[in-house]
Amino acid sequence: MKDQLEALRLQIVKEIGGAETLEILDELEIKYLGRKGELTSMLKGLANVSAEERPVLGALANDVKQAGLDLLEKRRKELADSRFAKLAETERADMTEPGNRPPEGHLHLVTQAIREITMIFERIGFYRTRYPEVDWDWYAFESLNMPPDHPARDDWETFFMDAVQSDDGKKGKMVLTPHTSNAQGHELERGEFPVRMLNIAKCYRRQSDATHAPMFHQFEGLYVDKGVNLTHLRGILDYFAEQFFGPGRVSRIRPHHFRFTEPSFEVDISCGVCGATGKVDGKKCKVCKQGWLEIGGAGMVHPNVLKASGVDPKKYSGLAFGWGIERVAMMKEGTQLDDIRILYQNDVRFLKQF
Amino acid sequence: MNLLVSYDWLKEYAGLKQTPEEFGARISLSGPSVEKILPMHSELDGIYVGKIAKISNHPKADKLKLVDVNLGTVKPPLVKGDNHAKRDLGDLRIVCGGSNLYEGQIVAVAVPGAKVRWHGEGDLIELELTEIRGEKSEGMICAASEIGLGETFPVKDDHEILDLSKAIPEMNVKPGTTLAKALGLDSDVVMDIEVTANRPDCMGMVGIAREAAAILDVPLMYRQTSDVKRRTLKNDKLKIVIDAKDACSRYIGTRMEGVKVGPSPWWLKRRLMSAGIRPINNLVDITNYVMYETGQPMHVFDADKLQGDEIHVRYAKKGEKILALDGKEYELPDSVLVIADADKPVAVAGVMGGEETGSTDETVNIVLEAAVFDPVVVRKGSRKLLLQSDSQLRFEKGLSQVGPESAMARAIELVKELAGGEVVGAPVDVQTKKYKPEVFSITTDEVNALIGVEISKKEMVDVLKRLGFKVKDSGKKLTAEVPWWRDHDIESGRDLVEEIARIYGYGRIPAIVPMDIAPRKSDAIIVWEDKIKDVLSGAGYTELYGYSFVSKDLLAKSGFDSKDLLHVQNPLTVELEVMRPSLVPQLLDAAANNQERADTLRLFECSNVYLRKTGKKGSWTDLPEESPQCVIGYIEHKNDSPWREVKGVVEYIFDTLDIKDVKWKRESKDDIWHPGRGVQAYKDDLLLATVGEISPKYTEAFKIESRVGAAQLELRNIIKFAKTHKSYSPPLPYPESKRDLAIVVPQDVEYRDIELEILRADEKIRLVEWFDTYQGKGVAEGKKSVAMHLTIGSNEKTLTSQEIDGVVNNAILACKEKFGAELR
Repeated sequence: MKDQLEALRLQIVKEIGGAETLEILDELEIKYLGRKGELTSMLKGLANVSAEERPVLGALANDVKQAGLDLLEKRRKELADSRFAKLAETERADMTEPGNRPPEGHLHLVTQAIREITMIFERIGFYRTRYPEVDWDWYAFESLNMPPDHPARDDWETFFMDAVQSDDGKKGKMVLTPHTSNAQGHELERGEFPVRMLNIAKCYRRQSDATHAPMFHQFEGLYVDKGVNLTHLRGILDYFAEQFFGPGRVSRIRPHHFRFTEPSFEVDISCGVCGATGKVDGKKCKVCKQGWLEIGGAGMVHPNVLKASGVDPKKYSGLAFGWGIERVAMMKEGTQLDDIRILYQNDVRFLKQF
Repeated sequence: MNLLVSYDWLKEYAGLKQTPEEFGARISLSGPSVEKILPMHSELDGIYVGKIAKISNHPKADKLKLVDVNLGTVKPPLVKGDNHAKRDLGDLRIVCGGSNLYEGQIVAVAVPGAKVRWHGEGDLIELELTEIRGEKSEGMICAASEIGLGETFPVKDDHEILDLSKAIPEMNVKPGTTLAKALGLDSDVVMDIEVTANRPDCMGMVGIAREAAAILDVPLMYRQTSDVKRRTLKNDKLKIVIDAKDACSRYIGTRMEGVKVGPSPWWLKRRLMSAGIRPINNLVDITNYVMYETGQPMHVFDADKLQGDEIHVRYAKKGEKILALDGKEYELPDSVLVIADADKPVAVAGVMGGEETGSTDETVNIVLEAAVFDPVVVRKGSRKLLLQSDSQLRFEKGLSQVGPESAMARAIELVKELAGGEVVGAPVDVQTKKYKPEVFSITTDEVNALIGVEISKKEMVDVLKRLGFKVKDSGKKLTAEVPWWRDHDIESGRDLVEEIARIYGYGRIPAIVPMDIAPRKSDAIIVWEDKIKDVLSGAGYTELYGYSFVSKDLLAKSGFDSKDLLHVQNPLTVELEVMRPSLVPQLLDAAANNQERADTLRLFECSNVYLRKTGKKGSWTDLPEESPQCVIGYIEHKNDSPWREVKGVVEYIFDTLDIKDVKWKRESKDDIWHPGRGVQAYKDDLLLATVGEISPKYTEAFKIESRVGAAQLELRNIIKFAKTHKSYSPPLPYPESKRDLAIVVPQDVEYRDIELEILRADEKIRLVEWFDTYQGKGVAEGKKSVAMHLTIGSNEKTLTSQEIDGVVNNAILACKEKFGAELR
């Protein structure tokens, strides 16, 4: 029996050592070392040997088994290593072929810009509001200190609705909001202070050409509290310039004229290309006007606007600012759309690029 | 509105020492914005004044001459192709075809390297040495149009060269002088200045000079022309009657006789040229010049063409027409203000004069007009007639009643100087209301509180005085009388703050970010709408943005009757007329337009729609309901059940927002939805969404080739249930098992009912997942086979195989009982 075991050991060593595949190894394991394998059946013969020989043969059988298992493990590892080593050849794929992409969704350029602006102002304590886009003349014009004969109130510039006047007749005609400033009256009427409103909405004007869409988006910031002054407006504008356009960008204000603010300003952002110098390598900067880019309007809320909403201008003061979403989005991207109206034509070839 | 300002001209009115660039940069920060600075002589490089020494015939061409031109001894600048560069110019031989050449004539000569516009057309072309019909030509004698002066020096014959001897007899320079210098343009620049609507006073050189003097703190050199005798004397030859008293606060008319019409001198032409105004004749030029100088529009009538001695300011009468100076005839609605003689309108007040009564070369007697018309009347009239002018642009901003006095005086002075003539009688001055300057007060504390820095009272007073205010101060109170030229602009004490702050300098005001915690949350609808947009774009959907107004046609094509909808009263086009009651029409339009561009279209839009609301009196007197909606569309070539994709994404949205126990019901009556493929999601009886396919009736109307899966979400209802923090149940501690189950049921049994029945049958059934429905071979007619995965588990122990079989059996039994189901 001892000889038989030794012969089996030799056979196992030979066959396992020469096995070329994992499948053959699996078969050999079953054949020799499995529950019904040769070693097991050989061990059944142990019952017939003497009590003295039994432990010796038992130990030998275990030794053969362990040797077989060790060899199996070693051979398996060898085979695996050699397979892994060959992977570069056997499983080489052309990795320059395109990958399988998930369906790609796209948020509209305007949504993306709105989000960015929202986040910037939320960080300094502004909240978003939503007010009517079809609104009364009172909110769109009258309460904003715009006289009845102001050109913006002509049906030449503003869209009117085919509805009669408000029930009480006091709020005038129904219009499509030509700016987001209509939110000022609605927000101030709540009578809660401080007001730190950010109103982003659709606006409408009777103009349609390559640089004007009849519907566009604006945002309106309104900060009203006790002691609000010009330094705060300058601070907010500088903060926005840096947050939205990047480090080093600053704002400046120049005199302008709006009915609902006094003083009123035009807001410029320093040019990122020439660094507000207006010159690149000694030549005139092509991106800006003398170092600055016009971005929008701002001002200190006119006392008449506060009064119109029942707020005491002796007690409260405020600042307001706002500009076109499409405009700043394009200024930031540095992309000049040939025709801004493409934003609203729902052509997927355009929309999928953002 | 923009004004072109010659810096040389401006220097006549203010003591300016700055370079134009310095001036522009500083003024823009405190006053009108200097947008561009352009050289005056951009087209005059390489062009010199020459004197014709000798003219001889060209041997080979009848119409060409050989002209020897003396150019003095000046060296031209080094330019490409110019072999004169190394020597003095001396005499040049030029081949020229000018029809008005003569010896001794002073002409403009372009030397090689100069850029000219051949015959005044096309691009600038660089001049080279050349030979013309065998004769060398060393330069060119220029026509006015070839060097950008065509408008200033019009010609009668296309072959005329610019005859400087006649065009500018007063010019006295040596040959060889650059033309730019000879014309006085070499040191000048033109600034394009933006003036805001509240500052019509800055629509003239004097206004800009006043601003410059105040901002830069330099002396204002402009002195108003001393007033001529203006009395409402009897003037037999001129009467002014203002009939429309509401629309004209003042009218000054001056009759002058014995004037001589002719071209203006070069200095005047040069000023007009810098302003972009075409010279006409000395009289018209003077009125334009005075307007450009003072900001006060003027007009000149040929007195002999006016009928009668009375000038009326009145509204047009029905049927009246006028042939305006632009050569067009206008029918005048009765809301248009006119200047009329005894017979008919002779000018559209403040907008444009009439052709028939304008000045001509033969004019001898004139009436000068300086008046103030109501801004709104002028604006509306101009819009009605679609007629604009420099004069109207100024009037519609609102001019002071005081302005006409000095403007008239200035015009009379210039007419006398340049056209001769005498004032007859006296200027007739009619005012319909008395002028009184406005006075406003503010305290220094109020000023400083709004600006946020401490500015001394002395500095405030100084600034206001520099701007022309008359200031009195007592304690902290400042009282300022508004200068007449700021009449319509300064409306309250608050306006004085701006005056002080802008001159003080906005750049000197520190920037402080008022950072704080938001006093309240953003509107929920905005937050949730954003969340839904994220889910959809993450799932591969592309966001659309459509106009809020659409055409009646588009709505009709989608089954909407626009009669009951909100309309734009004054739409730009019929395409943009009706406020949209739904986002579906534009979704279908987008699907139709894009179907060729992609195999699969996943689209969505989130926006408000507008629904009319009936007010208290039963009419549409309330603002419309602005209802936030979201539409989703899925179109895939050859996909026969696209509703499944959309329903999946809607279910996903509900899961993301943790909206549970949604009831799906077939309740939509809306024709737009496929009658067999539409379902609505409800929770607590509130409609959350309609999901399905668009009825072929409409997809075919839009010529969409594929089926359209679509959903419409009612955002306002959805956000009532939406939660950011999800409820949670712990995973079972024991393993779950999966079993597949296929049952055959009558075909009108709906899956959702089967699912609910199975879930009810045994609480150990944790999840039922549909994976197939089959009809056809092997399944009896009128029946369908529904296949599902069941997930079975217990939170008490690991279930044995037998126990699991028992659970499945319960499910089968329940389905048998409820639907007559059989095991497949």
